Amino acid sequence: MECRDVREMTDSFLGDELLTETNHEILRHLETCAVCRADLAARRALRAAMQRAFHHTRGLDPSPEFMAHLRTTLRDAAHTVRAPRGIKFRGWWALAATVLLAIAVGFAYRGRDWITAAGALARAAVGDHRNCALQFRLAEKPISLEEATQRYGAPYRVLESLPPNDVTTVVGPAHVLERHACVYDGRRFAHVVLEYRGTHVSLLVTARDDGARVTVPDEARPTLNEGRVDSMSVISVQASQYMIFFVGDLAQADLARLADAVAGPLARQLAGV
Amino acid sequence: MAQTPAPPADDQAWTVFEAEALPHVDRLFRLARWFEGNRHEAEDLVQETMMQALQSFHRFQPGTNCRAWLVTILQHVRSNRRRARQRSLMVDDPDDRIAYTIPFVAPVPQELTDEDVLGALGRIPVQFQEVIVLCDVEELTYKETADALAIPLGTVMSRLHRGRALLRSELGASRAALGRRRAET
Repeated sequence: MECRDVREMTDSFLGDELLTETNHEILRHLETCAVCRADLAARRALRAAMQRAFHHTRGLDPSPEFMAHLRTTLRDAAHTVRAPRGIKFRGWWALAATVLLAIAVGFAYRGRDWITAAGALARAAVGDHRNCALQFRLAEKPISLEEATQRYGAPYRVLESLPPNDVTTVVGPAHVLERHACVYDGRRFAHVVLEYRGTHVSLLVTARDDGARVTVPDEARPTLNEGRVDSMSVISVQASQYMIFFVGDLAQADLARLADAVAGPLARQLAGV
Repeated sequence: MAQTPAPPADDQAWTVFEAEALPHVDRLFRLARWFEGNRHEAEDLVQETMMQALQSFHRFQPGTNCRAWLVTILQHVRSNRRRARQRSLMVDDPDDRIAYTIPFVAPVPQELTDEDVLGALGRIPVQFQEVIVLCDVEELTYKETADALAIPLGTVMSRLHRGRALLRSELGASRAALGRRRAET
């Protein structure tokens, strides 16, 4: 190993991020190279200086009042946080759950074709919500709806104005944060991110795989299919040859109220495209 | 034999949370204070982070790095707030702009003061500050840093490489300026 190779890896060496064999090669080189030893010492000193500066600078420390207030707030909140599901699952609850599970399995078996097709789309919608709306880690940068309309057609234009920026539901308002077109797992979505009930909710529209058109009567309330996918509440609505998904980490009933307020006009507009 | 009644489940949960998560608040706050730039925003950010951590503490795996888990939540809260403020996702990637602008790897100066170090760190782009602070200061692994910032592992490594080089350049420049000032006086 030469000096250039060692310098490239010195910081990773200090961070203990290298394979054991590579560490040994670097150590062997350091035994005989005073220049690289000095470079390593300087980098180690810089790292230590950063840690010291960060952890001891008085301007960065929390005030005692804030720490006390935070502790009190958290302790009070701890007594109102619901225990996670499963903790208090005992006796009759277990029996009831078994019966419900059996019913669910029965329904799942009857409708497995729908579940297979729509379930794959729902999982993709949840994946897009997680990776685009919550964590910004899509492989491909989102594009504007205007650009998507030019490239891929009219459905994207519908999402430029629907839903409106401020939506009123029976349980509270929702506000649009942004609109764009994005790709997740090879599937393109028109994506509207809303702030609703203290969290981010995604409204996603994508083409159905079977390409069939479903008629949406002018005045009819569209049928909402509800479920949980990968720990997220999901509601899907068929709209002509498109599927509309509402995805969020909130109560299913609250998500349904948002879908009630938004899905009808959106489905009718998409059907007219 | 008399038995001591078991504490309520809520008390047990609080006791575990208090022991595992609360000791990290000081360092979490320093991170928030550094990135937010003002005390009020930092307090708000840390409080929301800790409330979210409390609500999802059942998802924390005992034995794993609790500080890294809290930093991940903090970064998600920061990202969501930034998104809500800016209402835009389509920004230039600073990696593209800066990729070829580092002329050389400067030597690390001796006798660094805290002021030198924090001043130089504050002058490099925030994307590089983030990875340097999480990896070199908080000693998160590359993988934990990638998870916390929701960026690929390769991006962590390339930003670290460029960020450290930029930091050394900044430190070299600030020490040279100090040397000139001393010579003039």
